[in-house]
Amino acid sequence: MLGARATLAALAVTILAVSGCSIRRVERIDPNSVTDLSGRWNDADSRLVANALIAQSLEGRWAVDYAAANAGKAPTIIVGEFRNRTMEHIPIGTFVRDLERAYITSGTVQVVASREERGEIRDERADQQTNASAETRARMAREQGARYMLQGDVQAIEDSEGRERVMFYQIDATLIDLETNAKTWVGQHKIKKYIQRRRFTP
Amino acid sequence: MRSLGLVLLLAACAPYPQRVRQPVVIPNNSTVEATSGADAAFSSQMEMQRLRASADSVFTLSVSNCAPAHCEAIARGEVSIGMSPDQVMASTRSAPQAWIIRRAGDFATMVPAVPSTKPYDRMGEVRMIQMERGGTSVISRRGPQGIMVVSRPQDGTNQALARQQAELLVREGDDLVAANDLAGALNRYDRASVLDPQQPEIEYKAARLLDLQLRPQEALMRYQRFLLSMDLERIRAQGDASAKMAEAIALAQQRIVVLEKQVR
Repeated sequence: MLGARATLAALAVTILAVSGCSIRRVERIDPNSVTDLSGRWNDADSRLVANALIAQSLEGRWAVDYAAANAGKAPTIIVGEFRNRTMEHIPIGTFVRDLERAYITSGTVQVVASREERGEIRDERADQQTNASAETRARMAREQGARYMLQGDVQAIEDSEGRERVMFYQIDATLIDLETNAKTWVGQHKIKKYIQRRRFTP
Repeated sequence: MRSLGLVLLLAACAPYPQRVRQPVVIPNNSTVEATSGADAAFSSQMEMQRLRASADSVFTLSVSNCAPAHCEAIARGEVSIGMSPDQVMASTRSAPQAWIIRRAGDFATMVPAVPSTKPYDRMGEVRMIQMERGGTSVISRRGPQGIMVVSRPQDGTNQALARQQAELLVREGDDLVAANDLAGALNRYDRASVLDPQQPEIEYKAARLLDLQLRPQEALMRYQRFLLSMDLERIRAQGDASAKMAEAIALAQQRIVVLEKQVR
């Protein structure tokens, strides 16, 4: 009887100890910190790409050349398709939004709503024509046309052997003149990661 | 001992994967700050402000002393014959940095400084301005069918530009006929005849093409339109129809007789 009680007590202690190990721990950390866990594409990669493309595009001559031919006006761009050509899930929108934000805040480039965004805007404008008062309704056919389209893609090359893996990402962004199809600016960023899985983790 | 050496040699030559010994660029737990682009854009912002100021001052200067016709053209955003370089810049709303001006005596040329971003006026993309004694003498613009040149004030009207465009379309149509793209050629002649309805040669070319494509009804109509537009009475009275045109008229008349019989 005593032995059975001791066994039960031991079992309870074991269950408590095991469940104690799986208690979740959540902490707020700096969004700018580099936290690599699996080695897959993460927020740090997105930030690195955004920083590189912002610097490359805003330091380029294309916007100034456009301004010279157009009385100092900032060129207007529309964000086209950024394709993920990797096998991984890569949320392209994160660095594309960073790029858009930098363009707008810098004041050197104007950005117009993309194909996906403008559908809703046009619906609202059409709705205003019948439902809004004459002095507050947005006028039709006043959209600003873009001169350049930003397109790009992400490609990856993976190499692995045993517990080691190397991931290489190449991000290309191109600004294309909508009238002539000329590529006005090409930006590129490359990320290479070495991932090693240890046999024993402390 | 020999076998141990052999084992060591084999071990050394075994195709093991190469170990990576590269320095870490961004270590884990470090920080990568998100950039706002303000630093990168600073020089561009400054330069764009400078360009805006310089375009504004050129505009003010050119409007302050322009002839009424040129002032109207500047307001419309149109380069016209006789304008000064400043007025050309004001018409195209461009800064002096957008142009390269080369001078030789009384003559000068203005070409876009950057081939990828050319200045535009209301009529189109300005490719080259030739100047004589400080005033614009020849304006070259890029049109959909090629370069269009304006060298007289009357060439700058909408009708004159349409005539030039029709001429370029006819040339393109002739090239397509030579390349055996008859449908494409007919398309160009049709477009040209809309732009320049006073040009009988276009009707004649379209009629010949339709005739060759065995489309008698359409060919007949085109031959008739060609003869009507030729204003035969006036030509007969003046007696100065060129030999080529006389031949075309004779052929059109013959074909009308033949095609009318066929169509009936």
